[in-house]
Amino acid sequence: MADLLSTGVSGLLASQIGLATVSHNVANVNTDGYSRQVVQFSARPGQSMGQYYIGTGVNTTAVQRAYSQYLNTALWQASGDQSRAAVYQSLTAQLNNQLSGTTNLQSSLDAFYGALNDVSNSPADSAARSTLLARAGALASTFQSLSTQFNQLSTQSQRQLSDTVNQINSDSKSIAQLNEQIRSAYASGKGEPSDLLDQRDALIKKVSSQVGVSVVEQGDHTVSLFVGNGQALVNGVHASELATAQNAYDPTQLEVVAKDTGMVLTGQLGGGALGAILDFRANVLQPAQNQLGRAAVAMAQAFNAQHAQGMDLNGDMGGDFFSVGSPVVQLNSGNTGTATVSASVSDVSQLTAKDYVMRYDGTNWSLQDTAGNNIAMKGTGTAADPFTADGLSIVVGAGAAQGDSFKISPTSQAAGGFKSVITDPNKIAAAAPVVASKASGNTGSGTLDGISVSDPTNPNIKNTVNIVFTSATTYSVDGGPDQTFTAGQPITVNGWTLKLGGTPAANDSFTVKANANARGDNSNALTLTNVANLGVLDGGNTSVGRAYGQLTSQVGSAGSLAKDALSTQNSIYNQALATQQSVSGVNIDEEAASLVRYQQAYQASAQVIQTANQIFNALLSAVQS
Amino acid sequence: MRISTSYMAQQSVNTMLEGQSNLADLQNRINSGKRINSPSDDPVGATRALELTHMTADVAQYQRNITAANARLGLEDSALSASTDALTRVRTLLLEGMNGTQTDATRADIAAELTQIRTQLMGLANGKDGAGDFLFAGNQVGSQPFSVQSGNVVYTGDNGQRMIAAGPGMQVVTGDSGASVFMNIPTGNGTFQVSVPSTNTGSAVAGTLTVTDKSQWDNANYSIVFTAPDTYEVRDAGNNVVSNGTYTDTGSAVVAFKGVQVAISGKPAAGDTFNVAPSGQQDIFSTLGNIIDALKMPGGGADMQNALNQQFSNLDQAMDTITQTRSAIGGRMNALDQQASLNSDLTLQYQTALSDVQDLDYYDAISQLNLQNSALQAAQLTYTKVHSSSLFDYLR
Repeated sequence: MADLLSTGVSGLLASQIGLATVSHNVANVNTDGYSRQVVQFSARPGQSMGQYYIGTGVNTTAVQRAYSQYLNTALWQASGDQSRAAVYQSLTAQLNNQLSGTTNLQSSLDAFYGALNDVSNSPADSAARSTLLARAGALASTFQSLSTQFNQLSTQSQRQLSDTVNQINSDSKSIAQLNEQIRSAYASGKGEPSDLLDQRDALIKKVSSQVGVSVVEQGDHTVSLFVGNGQALVNGVHASELATAQNAYDPTQLEVVAKDTGMVLTGQLGGGALGAILDFRANVLQPAQNQLGRAAVAMAQAFNAQHAQGMDLNGDMGGDFFSVGSPVVQLNSGNTGTATVSASVSDVSQLTAKDYVMRYDGTNWSLQDTAGNNIAMKGTGTAADPFTADGLSIVVGAGAAQGDSFKISPTSQAAGGFKSVITDPNKIAAAAPVVASKASGNTGSGTLDGISVSDPTNPNIKNTVNIVFTSATTYSVDGGPDQTFTAGQPITVNGWTLKLGGTPAANDSFTVKANANARGDNSNALTLTNVANLGVLDGGNTSVGRAYGQLTSQVGSAGSLAKDALSTQNSIYNQALATQQSVSGVNIDEEAASLVRYQQAYQASAQVIQTANQIFNALLSAVQS
Repeated sequence: MRISTSYMAQQSVNTMLEGQSNLADLQNRINSGKRINSPSDDPVGATRALELTHMTADVAQYQRNITAANARLGLEDSALSASTDALTRVRTLLLEGMNGTQTDATRADIAAELTQIRTQLMGLANGKDGAGDFLFAGNQVGSQPFSVQSGNVVYTGDNGQRMIAAGPGMQVVTGDSGASVFMNIPTGNGTFQVSVPSTNTGSAVAGTLTVTDKSQWDNANYSIVFTAPDTYEVRDAGNNVVSNGTYTDTGSAVVAFKGVQVAISGKPAAGDTFNVAPSGQQDIFSTLGNIIDALKMPGGGADMQNALNQQFSNLDQAMDTITQTRSAIGGRMNALDQQASLNSDLTLQYQTALSDVQDLDYYDAISQLNLQNSALQAAQLTYTKVHSSSLFDYLR
């Protein structure tokens, strides 16, 4: 007869293990990354009775976690993508909020040009002039505050970058430690350390959401994590750290590097939160800042150019109305030569929103944009004949060593440096500097068809000049040699250009002189109001307002795409999580059923033991009696 | 499929969170009344809204400019209207003064009133606009344009005319210089003028000046010389006779030559001369001054009549000039009104377009709000139902 007692005890023990596992599962129902554990039983080999076998009870062979390597890997991937989308969306949403607030550049521009129109309506009115200056100040502070907000977002994303790197380092260190523990647990031959494996998986998922990793399981049950183009983050029991380092050109920009080799990884990291921050910085924030700067440069240059052609209430030619941040040139920290490079905007209509890198190969300089496209340059780089490309003038000094490079950011600081320079309302140049008149005794049909300023810097511009016709087809300027007259063809003297039409007669004369005392003249103010809708950028096709529209549309598109991407990634992640949880997750009802099952089995096993006892007692009493 | 209890709970919570986030978003839209609250809501729409707002602001500014221009032109027109009234009074007084029944004393009274009117005209010509700028100073609006220097009125403004932008590419002149209104007035009949030397001894008076054929008139100086009381010769500057004829005092006799006619009445003496010259320019104040001077001539003979006749033409020219300026002002104001109405249409169009682009469809939004609210309530109800019980509840 089989050992009823021993069989009963084996059942009792197995049920106890089952109950313990169920309670462990129930206890961990809310533990992140916990995998449901299941007990595996097997029947003990039977006792041979010659003709047959009698069962001898149950063995508990293993307590294993319900786990699928494939589903977990998919979850890590989805988690990395989802986290990337979430961080990217959060950053672009912040940028969008900055453009949707009250600091709307277009409305500041409209208010400024409105005040300018009022000056044009009554040029001598000092109240209108003061209002214009106030509006100019408001416009400048809109440019500045937008730029400041962009800078703050940049600073914030740098901080987020280094926080994320620290988090990654700490997590990869923990993974390396767990690798160590898991390896020795397996080595001791005591079965699968489920809870340690779960902890490690949870950490891998976390790292995966910080920076996309590829996970390789090693023969000794450790895992290795790689980022970018194969840079190891965790190699068995060793963790390699990431670090942040200053950009070679711009110390305010952080790059992600491998701590031990110093290799820059920034360009290789695309996944997780880190990838999102780097992507946002390079492809949304910096272009936005440059685009804003480009609008600022266009505004300042176009307005200043027209303002210079006018004359202010003091009788002086118009000075600069706005100033704008100059192009920034930063040298590579690894440069060995002593050369300096300076850049300025020479043709705003060709100006782009890109940044550039200027390199010296030992004999020649070359220019590339940050995307790596070669930009052809004209000129020789000297002050007299600077390199020109994309609307920039670049002057290089002597002493460059082979391999030296410089980063040129034409517009990144422009908006931040946008200021209204004029403080005296009298210095608004609303009037034309010169006025042309026809002598009253003229007998020909010569007409004045307009005078404009072609070179406001000419020192003689306001001198009185008499143009006397020596015949119907020739004229003399201030008694000078005869020149041939063609109706409608401009006559340029002293920086102004006069157009005469009709047929003048001999001895007819026209006079150009300073527009002295003309407080009521609004000629230049009227032309200045047209600058609002003037194509300044992109070869003369894009106005300043339109450039701001482009910025809004760029940022808006990035935000809109990020929202869509996040919602897609959320459902992918949820799907991956649901599938993974369907295998590894704890279901309370299921555990309750298991609990009942094991409890009943336990009670039954106990009954078996009691039965064995009763049988034994029955036997004893039979023997006694 | 097995559902993990914590995942199910988290899913329910996620659904509720999403529902709340959608509700918040809708609430935000309904509160602002705008469909686009951030460029990412609709990048293309946001850019379009910026453009439309800019265009609306532009048009609003044009309307402001038009208002300012209308005010300025209105002031100018009133000043000129008052000037016309004054000149009409001058014309009446002049006709009275030419009447033979007047005596030296009554003519002096007329001259006194004319002196008053001259002062009044000076005041009008030196009028200011609402901003304190001189209306008729050209661009030199800061200094008084008309002043008396050694008995003559001089104009110290310039010929500038200020423009305003009334619409895209449309600029309108908002003023006329004092020179063109009060100073550069053609003399005579605008083509030629006649002056009578005081050395004439007859009583002939030059009257109406007529241009019969402008193509023959050569803008040269001529003199009509009476060789005898009934014959005359027309001589050019080189004293060559270009025409001659006989004269009979019919009251409406004319001397015609080179496409022009000069009416002469009265009795010329031999040797009397009438000088014919191309029109020059004379300011309105000199015209008045000359009239006053003529009226003060004692006796009121042919000299006075000739002088008054001459100034009569000049006065009519001055009135013509002002009338023409006023009709030009009317034309400009008309153009401004048309542009203003066009601008209103544009504003309406832009605002409609802007509203289409960025404004919220409240019906749609409110029904969505209800829908989202129901969805959220359903999610909450589901959560309480699903998570209220587990098998453990039944294990007692």
